[in-house]
Amino acid sequence: MARHKKIQPPEEEEMTSNISSMIDCCFLLLIYFLVATSLVSEKKLDINIPSTPTAASSKKPKVDPGNIYVTSSGVVTWNKDLTVGEAYDASLVPGTPAYLQQRRMDSLVESLKLLKEQAQAVEADPVVMLHGSGKAPHQRIVDVMAALAEADIHSVGLSTTADE
Amino acid sequence: MAKKNARSQEEVKSEMDMSPMIDCCFLLLMFFIVNAAQITVSKDPSVNMPNAVSASEMKDANGCIVINVFADPEIMGAKNAKSLEKYNKTYNPGTIWGVADANQNSIGYNSGQMQELSDFVKKQKDSMESKGIKPEMIRLYLRGDADAPWSRSSGAIQAAAAAGVTNIVFGTLPAQ
Repeated sequence: MARHKKIQPPEEEEMTSNISSMIDCCFLLLIYFLVATSLVSEKKLDINIPSTPTAASSKKPKVDPGNIYVTSSGVVTWNKDLTVGEAYDASLVPGTPAYLQQRRMDSLVESLKLLKEQAQAVEADPVVMLHGSGKAPHQRIVDVMAALAEADIHSVGLSTTADE
Repeated sequence: MAKKNARSQEEVKSEMDMSPMIDCCFLLLMFFIVNAAQITVSKDPSVNMPNAVSASEMKDANGCIVINVFADPEIMGAKNAKSLEKYNKTYNPGTIWGVADANQNSIGYNSGQMQELSDFVKKQKDSMESKGIKPEMIRLYLRGDADAPWSRSSGAIQAAAAAGVTNIVFGTLPAQ
């Protein structure tokens, strides 16, 4: 009997799935979405339209309101006497110095900041009205909104003027 | 010698349990998928976005009712032929405002349908309020084409104001 060796069954190999590649995939997807969400970066300009005037709010404001006019060609004027933005040129390529120059309206920002200071001096909110021609390009209105945001004014009355 | 071998075989194999890490990865993944979907909702590629020198980051798209304002097809086609192709496929001729309903189906409105647009905004507003979004958080997200005439953007703002939405967010791209 001793001659017969007991034959042992071969050792069973443990079946394990290699999950490292799956983790790699997960991380790749994660990085993709992280990058994608930051790439699609539309910015915003918050503006609040004043509600319908009530009896209490309809009395004369303490500071004269500032009026911004945008003509159909995109010329922007402050209180009708100071030109703060030249005519809109749609042919300019975004990102070029000339394009950036057209987007900036430094003199309008200065005027708006001055108006805000005057209003704060009498503890009132600055009142700004934007009169845009119906044919004025949307880009020019956004330029004005950007100037308002730069001057930290977030409430503006909007009106559409008859095309000149 | 035999004793020593037996002892080394008994040693416990140390293995790292990867499953919690995978769980975390999937959770993060789902979070970003949901977030990305929320922000990219209704971003119509037919709109050539305007640029602004000073604009803040769009962090939360929750409570935003998106209205796309289109330029004239001729201008759109001159700038980007693909935009015009997409516009023609999606909307009827004469569409100046585009929105997406709850099922992400595109709906177009022409200049004579301001009341219908206002009704759409009102419906969206009511739906958001019923989901617990505060009224002050409900905003109109205006995606106006840079070359669209102001009367169209102004019309969309008036339609939203008539529906009780007076907080306006102008969608822009950074100028630099």
